[in-house]
Amino acid sequence: MRNRLRVLRAERGWSQADLADRLGVSRQTVNAIETEKYDPSLPLAFAMARLFDRPIEAIFEPA
Amino acid sequence: MTTSPAAPRSTGDRTLFAIGVTWFLAFAVARLVLEQPDLARSLRLAAALLPVPLFAAFLFRFVRSLRDTDELERRIHLEALAVAFPLAILLLQTLGLLERAVGLKYEDWSYGHVWAYLPLFYLIGLVVARRRYA
Repeated sequence: MRNRLRVLRAERGWSQADLADRLGVSRQTVNAIETEKYDPSLPLAFAMARLFDRPIEAIFEPA
Repeated sequence: MTTSPAAPRSTGDRTLFAIGVTWFLAFAVARLVLEQPDLARSLRLAAALLPVPLFAAFLFRFVRSLRDTDELERRIHLEALAVAFPLAILLLQTLGLLERAVGLKYEDWSYGHVWAYLPLFYLIGLVVARRRYA
C-alpha cells in the first residue's frame, strides 16, 4: 500500500522518532511504514489519520 | 479506537535477561548435580525439576514483554516463529531419516543436543524478519 506519511511528517518538521512517540510505536515501525515494507493495522492507520487530521484515504492508497 | 503507547522496554528486557540467565545457571547446576552417581533419588528429582519454575517465569515474562511491544515487533516475532518451527521440523525429520539410514549415535544426536538448536532457529528467524522490515 502506498502512503504519504513521509511527506506529511516532513511538513510538520517531525523526525521519525517524534512521529513514533506521538503514535506510541517504535521508530522502526514508522520507518517500515514510510518505506512501504509494512502496512499498519487499522487502529494505527486511524491514529495517523487523527494525528494528521485527514481521512485515511488521504494518507494511504492501494498500490 | 486507539493505539496504546509502547511501554518502556529497557526495564522489562533487563528483567527478562536476568531471569533467562538465572534459568540457564539453574540448568547448568542441575546438569552438574545429576553427574553425581551416588545422589539420592529425591535429590536427583529435585535437581531435574529445578529449572522448571525459572523457565516458566522466563516464558511468562517473555510473553508479557512481547505484549508490550508494538504491532511490527509482534509481527517480527511471528515471522521468526514461522521460520523457526519448520526449521525444527526439518532438523528432526533429517535426523530421524539419517538415524534409519546410517544409525546415528545417540550420544551425537540425542534430544540433549538437538534442543539447543531450537532457540538458534528462533534467532535466525528474528534476524531474517528484522532485515525484512529494516
